[in-house]
Amino acid sequence: MTDTITTVALIVLTLLSLAAWAVAMNRARRVAKGGEAGEGEKLQDLLMLATIVLGGGAYIFRVIKHRWQPLEAHVDGLLLIGVLLAVTVFFLVRRARIRGLSLFALPLLALIFLWAVCASLWTFQLFAKIDSIWQSLHRISVYGGMLFFAIASVAGVMYLYVQRKLRVSHDPTATKPFASLESIESLIVRTSAFGFALLSLGLITGLIVVTGGPTRLGTGWWYSPKVILTCIVWVIYALVMNVKHTTHFRGARAAWLSIAGLVLLIATFGVATTLPPLPEVKVQPPTSTSSLLQTPSLEGQRPCESVLPRPSAPWPLALGPWPSLPPEPPCAS
Amino acid sequence: MRIVMLSISHRTAPVELRERLALSGERLDAALAALRALYPLAETVMLSTCNRMELFVARPEHEPPMFEHLDAFLADFCDVKVSEITAAALHREQDQAVAHLFRVATGMESMVLGEPQILGQVKRAYEQAAAKQAVGPVLHRIFQQAITVAKQVRNQTGIDEGRVSVSSVAVDLVRQIFSRFDDKTVVAIGAGEMAKITLRHLQALRPAKLWLTNRTRARADALAGDMNLTAPAGGVRPFEELDELLVEADIVLTSTGATHPIITAERMRPLIRRRRSRPIVVIDIAVPRDVEPGAGSLSNVYLYNIDDLQKVVLRTQESRSAQMEQCEKMVLEAVRSCMASVQHRDLGNLIKALRDKLHDFARNERQRTLKKLATTSADRSPDKIEAMLDEHDHRLVNKILHLPLSQLDPKNPDAPLAFFAAALRRLFALEESASEGAEPGVEAPENASEPAPPRPAIANEEPSPDDSPLRDLSHRD
Repeated sequence: MTDTITTVALIVLTLLSLAAWAVAMNRARRVAKGGEAGEGEKLQDLLMLATIVLGGGAYIFRVIKHRWQPLEAHVDGLLLIGVLLAVTVFFLVRRARIRGLSLFALPLLALIFLWAVCASLWTFQLFAKIDSIWQSLHRISVYGGMLFFAIASVAGVMYLYVQRKLRVSHDPTATKPFASLESIESLIVRTSAFGFALLSLGLITGLIVVTGGPTRLGTGWWYSPKVILTCIVWVIYALVMNVKHTTHFRGARAAWLSIAGLVLLIATFGVATTLPPLPEVKVQPPTSTSSLLQTPSLEGQRPCESVLPRPSAPWPLALGPWPSLPPEPPCAS
Repeated sequence: MRIVMLSISHRTAPVELRERLALSGERLDAALAALRALYPLAETVMLSTCNRMELFVARPEHEPPMFEHLDAFLADFCDVKVSEITAAALHREQDQAVAHLFRVATGMESMVLGEPQILGQVKRAYEQAAAKQAVGPVLHRIFQQAITVAKQVRNQTGIDEGRVSVSSVAVDLVRQIFSRFDDKTVVAIGAGEMAKITLRHLQALRPAKLWLTNRTRARADALAGDMNLTAPAGGVRPFEELDELLVEADIVLTSTGATHPIITAERMRPLIRRRRSRPIVVIDIAVPRDVEPGAGSLSNVYLYNIDDLQKVVLRTQESRSAQMEQCEKMVLEAVRSCMASVQHRDLGNLIKALRDKLHDFARNERQRTLKKLATTSADRSPDKIEAMLDEHDHRLVNKILHLPLSQLDPKNPDAPLAFFAAALRRLFALEESASEGAEPGVEAPENASEPAPPRPAIANEEPSPDDSPLRDLSHRD
């Protein structure tokens, strides 16, 4: 479990996201009935800004608390991705005028923060220590890619909804709270392109990390489910990114692909967190910690700068914690 | 002041008549000046748009111009027969005239409900009349109130939010699918009147290209000429190139008189591949339909026919009935408040005029009595003076009451006697019994047994009709 302040902040963030969503829903309903689009806009903006400020503050608090380690645990990753999602949605709605994106993005934001609450309270796990620039790049690119794919899939859901409304009800007032199909498709393509670039970077840096040392290589890393799923996701987004040049994957199909891509990415994440390490991987015995654990004052605790060596595993593109690690004792600080 | 109004609009007159009545710029100024010269006491505002010609006049009670004068003026100025004007004109006065103006300013009387241009036109008409000193305190108040009310109604009810013509619905649908039009191609198949109207809406989106095609080339050429379509941004293409046009088009408008569909699903399917699945919006406003419904189920084809568009129009109107009710309520309330303020001001003037008139009576009688006193300087006994004062009072009261009481003529079937009687009781706080006693042939009041003071001899008394209540009153003194 993390500290109380983080947990409380995450709960408040979840509630703020839900409140912003409720306001967005109310506004959309009013606009669809021919009302003013401006009503409630300020309140929604205020709630979004509060989410961004509180989320950013909570993240900075955690980074400072953990001696400037940007991603100490899974909860930090979720918090960071939530804040970045809030900032991006706020920007897209305010500046790029993608009307209605909040309606679909805010529930996802609330879910991410709720997930972070769970990760903070019940499923708290530490990440492997970042000990190289490649690992840093790998994590940044994977989280960044995840963010853009999340937005692409949200836009995909929105595209399918608006398209259905336009085809079935034939009523432009029903779709007035939303951006045009062309804008939404453009958003899917652009965010997929950004996500694709970052995922590619993640794949390359992951390869470097996994082949970087004998203990981290692992023999069967290249056919592990995580690598295979990541490659499928990569192909899907390569396709989505280029829908305007293909005959078969425009419109609704591109939207479905973007959703499928995110689902697969989450599946990849799930695989990475649940599968055990390959049996042939040798785990190096701890060396430096044995003496620390023997010290009476630190018994039952672990050092803040974890020196526990991680086992080399076949999923070097780690999105989540290393699955083979036993639960660690609380930090000495 | 009495507010009167004459309105000739798209609801009451055909476009041919409206065209002849349309005035703008110098002609409108000349019309205002002519009306002002004819009726200098009246305040006037003339509102002339493509859909309406309206004349708002505030004139003194019982003074011209009456409705027939306005009809005659308009007929004379615009060189139209009076009978044509009378047949097409809507005449309203007082609060109904004000309500009409408020409804016009809010767009409730417009062809497209809630259209925003009319408010600007009302403002300009008012400013133009004010610049010519044709507007007085009454019309100032009414027009300023109309502009305020129109803004309030628009802001609070959103009446100008939804548009309800078939063409605008088509454009709204297109805008929900495409976000930019500078890279889009519009193709119109057919060159009818409806196509022309809808194309004008689509042209306002500034598409990259706008192509017309029609079986009869000459009609397409004429429409292209009307719409100033020139290559390479648009023009006319042969009907034989329809497939090619369907590949190029992003928005297709069909309105031919063909009896069978000219765009079928079979025809579209191979074209979709050639289009690389680019979305296409097809607006079919032809009856019978030009596009087979099956074509609309192809991927990335958005097909809307005239029924779809009209359903939206109807739905919008139904959904706006609540808005309309709200607008009506707001307008009604504003009219009440506006009329109350106008009448309050009017009443102030009336009271001032009444006081002036009564003072005039008193002054005249006083001068007369003083003159009489001067001539009888020899005999100034108290009895004589008292008799003269009695006569003075009697004459003054008679003068004051002569005109109002002469209205209480039982022989006049149009006189609202009951209303007048109630008004008198109310205005002069007359008790029921006292007034009943005053009626001839009715039981006398309690003090009737007392002998009435002798009626002084009145020299040069103004003659009054025998059956006038004034006579009864004077006899009972």
